[in-house]
Amino acid sequence: MYFMSSEDDTLSLKSIPDNWIACKDCDLLLERVDTPLGEKALCPRCDNPLYQPREQTVERTLALTLTGLLLFIPANLLPVMSLSLVGQETSTTIYQGSLVLFNEGLYWTALLVLFASIVIPFCKLLLVLFVSAHLHLERSSALLPYAFRYYHYLDEWGMLEVYMLGVLVAVVKLKGMASIIPGIGLYCFVALLLVTTLMSSLLDEDDFWKRIEQALKRQLR
Amino acid sequence: MKQPATARQMGLIRCHTCGKLAFDVGHDGYEEHCPRCRAHMHMRATNSLSRTWALLITAAILYVPANVLPIMTVTYFGSGQADTIMTGVITLLQHGSYPVAAVIFIASILVPVLKMVALLILLLSVQLKWALDDRQRTCMYRAVELVGRWSMLDIFVIALLVALVSFGSIAQIISGPGATAFGSVVILTMLAATTFDARLIWDKEVTDD
Ligand SMILES: [Zn+2]
Ligand SMILES: [Zn+2]
Repeated sequence: MYFMSSEDDTLSLKSIPDNWIACKDCDLLLERVDTPLGEKALCPRCDNPLYQPREQTVERTLALTLTGLLLFIPANLLPVMSLSLVGQETSTTIYQGSLVLFNEGLYWTALLVLFASIVIPFCKLLLVLFVSAHLHLERSSALLPYAFRYYHYLDEWGMLEVYMLGVLVAVVKLKGMASIIPGIGLYCFVALLLVTTLMSSLLDEDDFWKRIEQALKRQLR
Repeated sequence: MKQPATARQMGLIRCHTCGKLAFDVGHDGYEEHCPRCRAHMHMRATNSLSRTWALLITAAILYVPANVLPIMTVTYFGSGQADTIMTGVITLLQHGSYPVAAVIFIASILVPVLKMVALLILLLSVQLKWALDDRQRTCMYRAVELVGRWSMLDIFVIALLVALVSFGSIAQIISGPGATAFGSVVILTMLAATTFDARLIWDKEVTDD
């Protein structure tokens, strides 16, 4: 990692070298140095993770996204768990929780749950599928930068892992009240969570942006 | 020794979405669109401090109903009990579920409060130019960004419980208005963390853009 110096002649700068980067959190200007795959480069001034190169990021992301989309349907349509009490049984799927909240008049909370646990994770998968499929097939589309930008914006609003913890807490809360039977949907959901978590960690955003840039340049030629 | 330079000092803007560097050629310190991802480019997030203040204050106001109003009402064999976030934790403690009580306490009470306090410190320290350690403040900011989402835990638990526990007069759980207020607090503090531009911590010469 090399620092740029403010004493360097900036006026003579005609173009920005490709290996220059700036830290997201402290704006420090740095020269990018290749790190071994999987190793995180940290900002020397504020410790912010700058980049983390990943091996075959497009192919792996594409494979995981397809798996995630396949798991998405059963994870959302099959019951997460059933509850039985004095001979009666109830079960819930992920969207039913949101539906009940809606019927009870908590529209805003219902939408929040629906978006954080279903809509946004689904959109994220679709957007990444669109981008990684294009990059893998070396196709270009004017929509690529938009699709990947929206993935970036939506990233923190999908909350599958928080939902998973919610399931565990709900189980503990209910265990004294009635007997709980885990549903097939729960297993699909756990698999979906693992796949999407792995996808996020193997997706090298920096590399994706570079490839998108190249794809767009090819299109212009 | 050479003084390390920032992108700004070199007349460059870093795109907040994709990280691309571009020349600061625009008026009022920003170029129109990022050459790579087409996002609007700003030297610093627009009105970062004012926006973060607005979101933080709204969140702090809503924090009161979020804790006072019941988040759900549990009816079990005829006896009903309205639970707020705090009484929910106390009930779990009484039942001996200490780990879960701790998880809920951290996610629903500790994290939102610490998050709001941290954002308050960040805003005040930038605005009043307090001489705090920049590295530690940036670290605090990253912690706020990272843990915020986990406060949604209680909302998801409520969504699961209301759908599962519907046995008519025997056992029933109904959501309460506190859930709406609490969900809003979580979203507002997450937005406040997003609008706060951490680079302001390091900029000594400017306060707001
Ligand atoms: Zn930094
Ligand atoms: Zn950009």
